[in-house]
Amino acid sequence: MLTALLQIFGSLRLTVILLSASMVLIFFGTIDQVEYGIWHTQKLYFESFVVAWQYPALWPAGDQLTWLRIPMFGGYTIGSLMLINLTVAYTRRFSLKAAKIGLYAIHSGLMLLIVSELLTDLLAVESQMTVPENGRANYSQTVRENELVLIDRSHPDHDQVHAIPAEILKPGHTLDIPDTSLRARVLHFYPNAQLVRTSDASSPANRGVATKMGVTAIPRAPDYSEKAINTATAYIEILDGDASLGTWLLANVLDERFPPQTVQTYERDYEIALRFQRHYYPFEIELLDFAHDKYPGTDIPFNFSSKVITHHPEPAKNQQALIYMNHPLRYEGLTFYQASFSPDETATILQVVRNPGWLLPYFSVLLMGLGMTYQFGLHFIKYLNKRKPA
Amino acid sequence: MKKIIYSLAALLVLLVLGRYMRPATQESGYDLAGFAELPVQVGGRIKPLDSVARNTLLVLAARQKVETLDGQILSPIEWFLDLTMRPERADTHPVFKIEFPDDLGLDGLYQPGKRHYSFNDLRPHFETINQRFREIDPEPKKRDAYQRQIAELNNGLSLYHRVMHSLHPIGEPQRLDQLADEYRSYLSLLQPAMAELRKQKDGENYDAELVKTFLGFGEDYIRLSQTAQLRIIPPPAPIDPMEDWFNLGDELLNVIQTGQLSPYAMSYAGLTMAYRAGDATTFNQTLSELLQRVTADFPDDIGRVHFERLFNASQPFAIAIELYVLVFIFICISWLRWPATLGKAAFWILCLAFALHTFGLAARMYIQERPPVTNLYSSAVFVGWGAVLLGAFLEKFHRNGIGGAMAALVGFSTLIIAHHLAMTGDTLEMMRAVLDSNFWLATHVIIITLGYSAMFFAGALAIAFIFLGLLRRSFDKSAARSLTGMVYGITCFAALFSLVGTILGGIWADQSWGRFWGWDPKENGALMIVIMCAITLHARWGGIARERGIMALAILGNIVTAWSWFGTNLLGVGLHSYGFTDSGFLWMCAFALSQLLCIAFAYIPSRYWRSEFGQSQP
Repeated sequence: MLTALLQIFGSLRLTVILLSASMVLIFFGTIDQVEYGIWHTQKLYFESFVVAWQYPALWPAGDQLTWLRIPMFGGYTIGSLMLINLTVAYTRRFSLKAAKIGLYAIHSGLMLLIVSELLTDLLAVESQMTVPENGRANYSQTVRENELVLIDRSHPDHDQVHAIPAEILKPGHTLDIPDTSLRARVLHFYPNAQLVRTSDASSPANRGVATKMGVTAIPRAPDYSEKAINTATAYIEILDGDASLGTWLLANVLDERFPPQTVQTYERDYEIALRFQRHYYPFEIELLDFAHDKYPGTDIPFNFSSKVITHHPEPAKNQQALIYMNHPLRYEGLTFYQASFSPDETATILQVVRNPGWLLPYFSVLLMGLGMTYQFGLHFIKYLNKRKPA
Repeated sequence: MKKIIYSLAALLVLLVLGRYMRPATQESGYDLAGFAELPVQVGGRIKPLDSVARNTLLVLAARQKVETLDGQILSPIEWFLDLTMRPERADTHPVFKIEFPDDLGLDGLYQPGKRHYSFNDLRPHFETINQRFREIDPEPKKRDAYQRQIAELNNGLSLYHRVMHSLHPIGEPQRLDQLADEYRSYLSLLQPAMAELRKQKDGENYDAELVKTFLGFGEDYIRLSQTAQLRIIPPPAPIDPMEDWFNLGDELLNVIQTGQLSPYAMSYAGLTMAYRAGDATTFNQTLSELLQRVTADFPDDIGRVHFERLFNASQPFAIAIELYVLVFIFICISWLRWPATLGKAAFWILCLAFALHTFGLAARMYIQERPPVTNLYSSAVFVGWGAVLLGAFLEKFHRNGIGGAMAALVGFSTLIIAHHLAMTGDTLEMMRAVLDSNFWLATHVIIITLGYSAMFFAGALAIAFIFLGLLRRSFDKSAARSLTGMVYGITCFAALFSLVGTILGGIWADQSWGRFWGWDPKENGALMIVIMCAITLHARWGGIARERGIMALAILGNIVTAWSWFGTNLLGVGLHSYGFTDSGFLWMCAFALSQLLCIAFAYIPSRYWRSEFGQSQP
């Protein structure tokens, strides 16, 4: 029984089936990006166990065929099965021969690559840091994700931020707000919405901007295109014990440009907001100079670069660097890339990535590349020896 | 017989070469070659007017010649002369290609059988075209065929107008007859007019007439500076290569500050007047002075500019296309008669075509100072080059014509594709900042493109296998084994290059924005090629697929590679646009269908196979 099972899991036939399944998955995971954009499709197809592709309404006869769905295994399933397939094949067929060293190198490299991709999915965090020229920043934010925050500004030298990621704001749920006695009840959460001014009194909010300015939210379908920013919006009721302190309309577009909304308790006041998720760092980055060069006589960018200096509580860790294309700054477990700049070119936008497994693909590449060169090199030499040019 | 065949081959090759080596027509007496070599700054580099003329014409007319109403054939530079110096005549040349004129709904435009229209034909419809253009989808990827045609026409008219006014101000053509006088009176007006303007500012009495005339010039030249497409005037010497050049309008406005008009502007005015007067002697005289100035101002660049014009004129890729056809025909005949002699002749023609192909590639590298693959056009040229290299190599070893024929087939197809991709304009454009890395261009891009070459070549060999197996009696088991070995070997090569190329791409991405893998369409396409190779190789090792199965998989590889190379470009990611109406989509589909048909052929029951190999199959 076990032998038969091992035989199946270690077979080349399974390899070919898994490879074919991954090809189908990647194909549909590419064309569905037209519907859902890269970011969302990646979650649907490659960071999942199963997924069903749906016939797009925009395709010929789309209005009659949208019921058509093709279920398939997601990236996690195929990746794990491949790992099992490789491991079983290794343990069953391993023998140390010079003619096979290349094969082992290729497949070890592949296993490492699958593992590193999984680690990246689970651990890597990407966000953006905007730094004005001659200014400093100590946080980065991501416009894809939002957070509900209560900010206590009563401390003289710092603010205390109590945050809940927007992912867990499910309508009907009540959540404890970390390090406070308060709870938040989610009445509505819309990944994307339009805020409109209306005299209609049906809004559930009874505090803040909703009542002062007569604003309500109309839910909209999320926009998945590359540059789109969705207006995440929520109606949140704050509870102290069982007593309601009020219900607020919160949205990530109601940012610093608007007067803050406040929750008042007996002890202190909190600012309440739904905002792009922020990551704070124990150091600051100062932008000394931003440069943007174009090809002569054109608007085609030729180079852009940011000269920065870091300010760390431990002065020994301060560092000056020039960040430009293909030359990131690696600092304190983070990597800073030149991503973009503000339209008036007075602020730089740096992509900040924390990815503890970033080195793994380099090892895997080395293994696979060398292994293949070795293995096919052997074949090629044999071929040349067999045939002399006619 | 041998001698006859060789002489025939040589004669055919000479015929092909001869068609392209004809000297430029000099009967007009104007030094066209010299004029074609005048430098302009376009898209971040200095290039000859010849390239501008060719690219503009490609965009408008989708070809590199103009057929005038009286049946005369104009070269691009002759047309450019008319456009910039005799606009009243250029307006009658049919240079606007409209694929489906009757679909545009422009009353009275459509003439049956006519696909090229002149500026004058379109003149009554400007309002309508512009209005319709404003109504269509601003996102180019979401436009349908009609909308694309409107956009192309509108942009074409605008380009035509802007290039036309690169060498002279906007106005009636007669104004060009006194261009030098106009500049001179503008210059002489400058000092007095400034003095009068100061008086006006101080509230004193001033010459209103003079000020009005001067401001008239100013307004005119501001309009020109916004219109003129080409930057033809270099800044005063010494010239920094990173400095912006000026268009004519800018230069005429600069005069207000510098008090001096660039001699380049004066020379272009002189050329215009001489050309309009039909005075070839003055034209050539002015031109040779201008060229001397250019040589003195740009000692480092003039060689490259001169070379670029020669490269344009020599058209190595066009010759290679015809030679590849010749190779293919020779080899096909060689399978019926005189295999050794014809095969040898074909091999040498293949080598010649390959040498031209290589020359073209190297010339582009020299002109652009870049590794060979920088955009889709150059990738097509390079895919063909790589496949021909592989094919010539196999042919040298096997001498059975299969490698050579398939090399010629892939070389021909990819150069045809490149030819059609060139219609969008300059194929030697500058790279955007993120791509601007000779290191990665030279490693990742080259390696992955060689992977495409190998995939297509393996696929072509597989197609050859199927047709030989189906039709050719003498195709026996050992021939089949040898061909399968070739497909296998090339697939190994493809696997290595695709994998290493894809992974290098990942490293580049990690260096550029911290993401080794982002699942974007291009990356996914590359990964699909790697997986395709892995499937083929594992299916062979596991005995899951035999000869015909391997061939079917290799042909499937053609579809996967075409998808990775072109298909992914059609998708408007996140835009809800699948590119169905793109003509590229139709070609993709047609190609995929043809390959599926070949795969179906592979599975025709063996009793219908005429070859010995087929008969021996169970």
